Amino acid sequence: MADTEYTPLPVTPVSHKDAETERYHTFVNLALVLAAITGVELVLVYMPFHPIFIFTSLLTLSLFKFVAVVAWFMHLIYDKMVLTLAFGTGLVIATGTFVALGFLLSREWVDVDAITQF
Amino acid sequence: MSATENEEDSHGSLVINNKKLLMWLFLGSDCMFFGTLISTHLIYRKLYPESYDPLLVFDLELTSFSTFILLMSSFLMALAVSAMHKGELKSFRRNTIGVIFFGLIFLACQVYEFAHFTNEGLTLSTNTFGSTFYMMTGTHGVHVAIGVFWLLCLYFYSYSGKMDAHESAVDVEVAGLYWHFVDIVWIIIFTAVYLIEYIPGLH
Repeated sequence: MADTEYTPLPVTPVSHKDAETERYHTFVNLALVLAAITGVELVLVYMPFHPIFIFTSLLTLSLFKFVAVVAWFMHLIYDKMVLTLAFGTGLVIATGTFVALGFLLSREWVDVDAITQF
Repeated sequence: MSATENEEDSHGSLVINNKKLLMWLFLGSDCMFFGTLISTHLIYRKLYPESYDPLLVFDLELTSFSTFILLMSSFLMALAVSAMHKGELKSFRRNTIGVIFFGLIFLACQVYEFAHFTNEGLTLSTNTFGSTFYMMTGTHGVHVAIGVFWLLCLYFYSYSGKMDAHESAVDVEVAGLYWHFVDIVWIIIFTAVYLIEYIPGLH
């Protein structure tokens, strides 16, 4: 496709561009941190630590990555609170469903042998 | 709400863009959808830990590579959105094609993984692990494929000469939100489905 089709976009205000340039550095730093955390996660599962410690660490790192992407890459910290509420509602219901199902269908409450026979 | 007001929304004006609000609501509902799929997988894994040993087929190096690729695609997507807000069309195209390329690599890794698992005897109907695993990761894969298609459409549309920094920046941002969401879902799946299987003595 030829570049002759290129149409210059309307000029954006300088302050707006400065803000975007500032965000660029934030994005680069965040990408490096996310890559490093993924590396740490990979190494962590092979370390001779207590399983609970590894599990908790993985959960914490995973949540950090989740929040970081939502906050900075998805611009949620720069946007209106109502957008956080819109997403947060779904997230809370999803987490609540997981916790509720986890309790309802735990081994103490479910007769696994009966289900297997059935 | 005018197009100009829409564009200024993410940068501090008083209005809320309808497209963005709708996308965030959709992502909230998609959270519930994936939450159910992940919950189902983990609960069945807890109820029937002896039904299958996923370590027989899992390849953590490959999955970590996929995760890294998807994280970097998210980074490029953020740069593409930023470029569009600055009105830099060439930069937008460069970053978007990077995101598409990384998305395709991720999909190729997933196809390879599924083919490998099937060859090892793990199919959708083998056991509960196979059913919930393929359902969850397959649904995520479909989301990635839709995202790639969406970005391809935006990429080719950028050559039409109809893109402007006001309305199109919002469209790119909405596509970016979807792509980042696909990334965060994978962040959870990577830990909850793959990594915890490698913790000795947890099950």
